[in-house]
Amino acid sequence: MSFARQVLAAARLDLAEVLRSRWLVFCGGAYLLLAVIFVLVGLRESTVLGFTGMGRVLLSVCHALLLLLPLLALTMFGPVIGRARDDGTLELLFSQPLRRSAWFVGVSLTRYLVLVTPLVVLMVGLALYGEMVLGQQVPWPFVVRALVIAAALLVAFSGIGILISTLVRNPGRVTMYIVLAWALGVALLDFGLIGVLLRWRLDAQAVFTLAALNPVQDARMALLSGLEPDLATLGPVGFYLAHRLGPDALYALGVVWPAVVGAGTWTCAYVAFRRGDLV
Amino acid sequence: MHIELRQVSKRFGRSRALADVDLTISSGAQVALLGPNGSGKTTLTRAIMGLIRYDGEIRIDGRPLTERMSVASRLAYVPQIAPQLGATVDEVLGAVSDLRGLARSTVVELAAELGLDVDQVRRRSLRGLSGGMRQKLLIALALATPAELLILDEPTASLDAAARARFLERVANQRGVTLLLCSHRLDELRALVDHVVALDDGQVAYDGPATTYLAARQAAVIELHHRGEDGGWLAAHGFARGAGGWWSRVVSQADKLELLPAALAALGAAIDDVVVRDSDRLELEVAGVGQA
Repeated sequence: MSFARQVLAAARLDLAEVLRSRWLVFCGGAYLLLAVIFVLVGLRESTVLGFTGMGRVLLSVCHALLLLLPLLALTMFGPVIGRARDDGTLELLFSQPLRRSAWFVGVSLTRYLVLVTPLVVLMVGLALYGEMVLGQQVPWPFVVRALVIAAALLVAFSGIGILISTLVRNPGRVTMYIVLAWALGVALLDFGLIGVLLRWRLDAQAVFTLAALNPVQDARMALLSGLEPDLATLGPVGFYLAHRLGPDALYALGVVWPAVVGAGTWTCAYVAFRRGDLV
Repeated sequence: MHIELRQVSKRFGRSRALADVDLTISSGAQVALLGPNGSGKTTLTRAIMGLIRYDGEIRIDGRPLTERMSVASRLAYVPQIAPQLGATVDEVLGAVSDLRGLARSTVVELAAELGLDVDQVRRRSLRGLSGGMRQKLLIALALATPAELLILDEPTASLDAAARARFLERVANQRGVTLLLCSHRLDELRALVDHVVALDDGQVAYDGPATTYLAARQAAVIELHHRGEDGGWLAAHGFARGAGGWWSRVVSQADKLELLPAALAALGAAIDDVVVRDSDRLELEVAGVGQA
C-alpha cells in the first residue's frame, strides 16, 4: 500500500477521533467567541492604527488570537501520542502494515487542519459580514496577512506540542509542559522581556534576540508590521525591531521563524517517535 | 513463520520485563504463552511484532527483525483489550481493510459467524460498543487476514460461549499458520496449541509439549457448604468464604485427594454439601502457585 494511502487511512481515523471529541466545535467556538466579543463591545465604532469598523475588529481579534492559538495547538497536540498509546490505538494500528511516518504525518496534518480551517472560516466570514451586511470596507490584504501569520504560529506550536507528546509519557507532566510552553511564549513578549532586562541588567541585544526567538512575539510584530510603528502598540522591543528590520523583514520573520520552529520541533518529535517504543 | 529469539531482554525503567529470553518457535507451531500477570507474555508478543525496542536479537525466517513493516504485513493480531477508538465501526473496518487489502464482505461474514451484525452497528463508535462486540470485530479482522503468524492475547475474554466455540473452530482450522496464544482457558489451550512456553518474571520457565504441561497443572475447585459459625479450619486451610455459607479453594488435582477427606474428617456433620469440579482455567498459573 502506498505511503499516501497509509497517510489517508491514519488521517481518516484521527479525524473521526477529533470530530467525536468535539475539537472542531471547541476551536470554532473559541474563535467565534472572541469575534463576537469584539463585535459586541462596539470596537467597530472606534478607530485604532488607521483601522475602523470591521478592520478594527479583525485587528483586535487577531491580536487576541495570538495568545489563544498557541494554547489551542499545544492542547490539541500535547496529549495525542500518550492518549493513543493508553487507549490501545497505537497497538492496534501498528500491528497493521502502517508506517510510523504515515501515522505521524496523517495525525499531524489532520489536527493542524482542524485548527486552521475554522480560523479561516471565521476570519473570512467576519470580513464578508462586515462588507456585505454592515456595508463596511474590509482590509483584505490585512486579512490574508493575518491568516498567513496565524497559520505559521500554529505550525510552531503544533510542532512544540507533538514534541512534548513524544517525549513525555506521564499525562500530568504533559499538561505541565503545555502550560509552561504557552506561558513562556506569552511571557516573553515585550513587557516581560523589559522586566527581565531591568531585573537582571541583561544586554539589550540579548533581550532583542530572545524576543526574536519567540514565535508569539514574531507573529505579533509581523501582524503589526504593515502599520506605522508605534511604541505604545508594538512595545519597546517590537518598536526597536520594527525600526531596525523594517516592515517587510518583520513580516517575513513573523512567518518564517515560527514555521522553522514548527518544522524543527516536528522533525525532532518524529525522530524520537521512530526510535521509541510504540506501546 | 519461523521465529527465533536470542538473548532478548527488555526493561521499562527499573522494571525488568524480559531477561535473556532464548526461544524458537517453528513455522506452523501452535504455541501457548503462559505465566502469571507481569511475567512478560505481552511484552514478548510486542517485541515479536516490532512494537517495542529490545536488547538481543529476533530473527524471522532466519533474517533479523530490523523493520517492523516486514513482519506487520505477515501477521494478524487480536489484543487483550480492544482500543477505545472514537471512530465508527465502518471507519475502523475501512481503515484496517485498506491497510490490509481485505475485502469488507469477508470481515462482515466472519463477524456474523461470531454473532456480530456489522451493518447494524456500523455507525456506532468503537468505544460505544460492548467489550464483546469490539472483540468480535477485532477477531473478524484478524481472521480475515491471510496471515502467516496469528497472535492472540486473551482473545475470548469478553466473548459469549457460542462465539467462543465458533472462534475456536475457526482458529483450529487455520492450516500452516504459526499461532501464538496468550490464554489461561483450558478449552482454548486444549483445542489450539501443541506447545507451551511458560514465562516467569521475564524468563522462560517451561518450553515443551502442551500435554505434559497441562497435565501437571490442571486445577480443581473444591466447594463446601459449611453450616457452622466458625470457619476457622477452612480459613486455616486456604478456603475463601463465599456467599450463603459456601467456602471454596482452588487446588491441584493431587492435593484434591488429600484435602477433601481431611475436610470431611475435621468438620464432619457441619458440612452439608460438597462440589468438586475441574477448573476451566489454569487457576494455579494465574495465582502463581504450583509452578514446576
